[in-house]
Amino acid sequence: MQKTKYLLAIIFLLSPMFIWAQTKNHFSISGTIKDKATGETLPGATVGFLQLPGVGVSTNSYGFYSVSVPEGSYTLVATYMGYRTDTLHIEVKANLQHNINLEASSGQLKEVKISSSSSRSNNILTAPPGVQKLTVNDIKNVPVLLGEKDILKTIQLLPGIVAAGDGKAGFFVRGGDADQNLILLDEATVYNASHLLGFFSVFNSDAIKDIQIYKAGMPADYGGRLSSVEDIHMNDGNNQKFGVSGGLGLIASRLTAEGPLFDHKGSFIVSARRTYVDLFTGLAHDTTIKKTKLYFYDINMKANYQVDKNDRVFLSGYFGKDYLQLKQANGIDYGNSTGTLRWNHIFSNSLFSNTSLIYNNFNYNTHFQSSTNNITVGSAITDYHLKQDFNYYLNSTNKLDIGLESIYHVTQPGAATTSQTSNYNSVTLQKKYSLESAVYISHEWTATDKLKLTYGLRVSDLTVLGPGNFYTYDANGNVLTNTYYSGGKFVKSYINPEPRISASYQLNDSSSVKLSYDRNVQNIHLLNNSSATSPTNVYLPSTNVVKPEIADQVSMGYYRTFHQNGIEFSSEIYYKTLQNQIDYKNGANLVGNENIEADLLFGTGRAYGWETYVKKKYGKLTGWVSYTLSKSERKINGINNNNYYLASQDQTNHLSVVGMYQASKKWVLSADFVYSTGTPVTYPDGKFSVDGSPVYAYGNRNSQRLSPYNRLDLGATLYVKKTHRIESSWNFSIYNIYGQSNPYTIIFQTDPNNMNRTQVQQTSLFKMVPSVTYNFKF
Amino acid sequence: MKNINLFLTLVSIAVAFSSCTKTITPPLNNSPQLVIEGAVSDTVGPYHVNISKTANFYSDNVYPTVSGATVVITDVTANVTDVLTEASPGDYTTHTITGTPGNTYQLKVMLDGKTYTALSTMPKPVLLDSVSVDYSVKDNIRPVADYQDPISQKNYYKYSMKKNGIHVNHFQTFDDRLSDGRYLQEKLDCDTGTFHHGDMVKVDLVGLDAGAFNYLKEAEAVAYDNANLAAPATPTSNITGGCIGYFSAQTVSSKTTVIKNL
Repeated sequence: MQKTKYLLAIIFLLSPMFIWAQTKNHFSISGTIKDKATGETLPGATVGFLQLPGVGVSTNSYGFYSVSVPEGSYTLVATYMGYRTDTLHIEVKANLQHNINLEASSGQLKEVKISSSSSRSNNILTAPPGVQKLTVNDIKNVPVLLGEKDILKTIQLLPGIVAAGDGKAGFFVRGGDADQNLILLDEATVYNASHLLGFFSVFNSDAIKDIQIYKAGMPADYGGRLSSVEDIHMNDGNNQKFGVSGGLGLIASRLTAEGPLFDHKGSFIVSARRTYVDLFTGLAHDTTIKKTKLYFYDINMKANYQVDKNDRVFLSGYFGKDYLQLKQANGIDYGNSTGTLRWNHIFSNSLFSNTSLIYNNFNYNTHFQSSTNNITVGSAITDYHLKQDFNYYLNSTNKLDIGLESIYHVTQPGAATTSQTSNYNSVTLQKKYSLESAVYISHEWTATDKLKLTYGLRVSDLTVLGPGNFYTYDANGNVLTNTYYSGGKFVKSYINPEPRISASYQLNDSSSVKLSYDRNVQNIHLLNNSSATSPTNVYLPSTNVVKPEIADQVSMGYYRTFHQNGIEFSSEIYYKTLQNQIDYKNGANLVGNENIEADLLFGTGRAYGWETYVKKKYGKLTGWVSYTLSKSERKINGINNNNYYLASQDQTNHLSVVGMYQASKKWVLSADFVYSTGTPVTYPDGKFSVDGSPVYAYGNRNSQRLSPYNRLDLGATLYVKKTHRIESSWNFSIYNIYGQSNPYTIIFQTDPNNMNRTQVQQTSLFKMVPSVTYNFKF
Repeated sequence: MKNINLFLTLVSIAVAFSSCTKTITPPLNNSPQLVIEGAVSDTVGPYHVNISKTANFYSDNVYPTVSGATVVITDVTANVTDVLTEASPGDYTTHTITGTPGNTYQLKVMLDGKTYTALSTMPKPVLLDSVSVDYSVKDNIRPVADYQDPISQKNYYKYSMKKNGIHVNHFQTFDDRLSDGRYLQEKLDCDTGTFHHGDMVKVDLVGLDAGAFNYLKEAEAVAYDNANLAAPATPTSNITGGCIGYFSAQTVSSKTTVIKNL
């Protein structure tokens, strides 16, 4: 019955597809768009025709395009931001395969002037609302902490995306929580995207090509998280010549090697990075610091091979590890590993297929060491993931994306091994098994010259699998029933249809309006009731008790370009509702707790806001200003008398200003400024005594705010004269130049100078942090 | 497994060169609330129930006492009732009642037309074996409580200490949720530099029931680890009627040691 309903819904949704009649004498032109010098594919490049202003297409994630046009002769225009536009005369009498190589425009970005088709090729006017793309080129001059350019940190300067705070991992998108962002590296889920407790992201920008961010209007092929998608692509590696590049920084160094394989039919890239803070701590006089181990490393690897004209395979992997240990005492280590094997196959000029086999794992271990205690506590999540996508280019105005995927999750919520004399028993919680599957279909329809519609349906399913004990609880969290399911048995299934629709309507050559609605479902929940950035988090899949989180969002916006696309302006509003949000009872035990679900509370949420963004793309001065006005609230049973309260992610005002100035051929100066309203916190409204020690009483949840966050960073890059052998640059930056004390932690404690009083201590990180990095390439 | 301080320490080392701490005075609300704290134990009485109000965070640690309450403790198991006398303002003491392990006790406080009640069952006593001393960190000498946790039963503990006969204003809780049946050697936290050569340390191992323990565990997190709580909240009282505080029927086992010269 249920299935029939879904089937009917799909047919209904796709009915406009059956309207078109395939006209005769249309032929398709297809191919791949690549960088001329390196052979890197260019996803999101556009193809248009001077003679056909209404016809255009963007390349998919693998640089593939396909477009069908009537018989005739045309001037094909291929464009990509930061590259010289290529024009090409073609005679279309039959289906054509045509690969295009674009040349990177060196130096400052010049205005691209192409007449009639220019507005068509401008992505901002036609892309769904809430979508943004950044390439590594876009971020290379933005000043960052300790000179490590970081794509995940830079997106936090875009509207609607805010940092969790200095020294805290994660970021919040449109009022959602940090675990509600789907971060993909070559399609593999990266569960923990932070190094060194959040000071850096795990993405080494030398290995990264670009990032596509969806805050709304997620295409139906993405699913699994409520707030956003960060789809990050790794570089393929230069298939023209061998090269080495790298950087030496104050705390980390990077080295990348890339080059052609198999007679230019393939290429590889290997990029590695390691910090060496521990070398400096070894020099310290303080013995605690001296014996502290503190480092991270990561390695990105990718190889691809063009088997024949229609087949290409890719193998990519990421391995990263963080290691932190106080002198022979407590420590933690954690890391992600991912591996993706992909096969691109072009069935025909109009049908592109990609098959991916993905593995990813995140694990952490906490070590406690002392004379009598030796304890290691670990937790892990492992995914085995199969994904099949088809892009079917029906004709010049219709494209279908169809696919399916299935992920087998194995989570180990906690295991502890202890030594003989330890205070604790060894414990291993039951592993949790679940199968998350989805099918989707999405239709991209250029209805008229001005109206473009993308709509589709994703149907996701999470099946909770045995073996294991499954409990039910009463309102007080006491176990009511305990049922054992054997291996492979279905415990519970959650099927959720997720409709997605977005429409863009072009008002004229330089402006458009867009509207989208999307539903997202999340089945992997991160449990963490500590404000500290600890990686000791528990990932819990939906269970018989924990239901899938659901978000519905409506978003609309107005978009405009000025000065022939030189300036982009956008303004968007959104409203989002959240279901089955998770919070914690007072004193919840998240570690080593078989009945963790009994300590959880559930409720709803809502978030809304207005985002404005102005970007100057060309000229000596480039950069952007982004401003967000927003609100995010939660309503959880058992908190705040079941009334709405401000979510911890709420930041009323958020402003980012980023500027880059090409002062001369050698020097690029840059600056960024960030201001945001302090996040909501719960402060004491009194104190009392327990055994003579002051303890604090608290009022309503999140009824106060931290002081506003603000900082200014400055940077300068010196491009040393380029010779034919080596290209190098120096990057200088100062983070938080005016030394603003932004709160990292606030502690309420006994005044050490007067034991009869209490005081509030604020710790701030990162005041005036200078850095120098030397980057080279040969 | 109190691992949270570890992260703070690691973080502060990681950025030792650029972090800084200062005292701030954010505006705080002040809404006085009633606090009731009472206990019956297996040691000799009289036992005390203290009634007070919460104080403003920025004022001294002096809590306004509440007088004039009617306080009654009943041994529900033995059917003995004791009406407490207010010995000094806010301090109510028992007369006849004695603490017996396994018995359930009821606290009843009547004040300004409202009634506050709590039940607590005294657990079987767990005896402290010895108190040893951890000298491994020079400026943070810590007493260690050594005892055997009884197997196959839930046990909840609190540690408190006296230094040269004076109560140390620090408490610590522990339960055997992950330690059932272990021989425990628990290092007792206090402020660094509390103990020196020649100090006499008396450690109390206090056996609690679940309700009192949950309150004290939450209170401990709020008192000493509030910076790491994403959503700090007033500890959940085991007394009904709308007040802060707890009532505990508890066992006490004590041992003493002297801090040696190094």
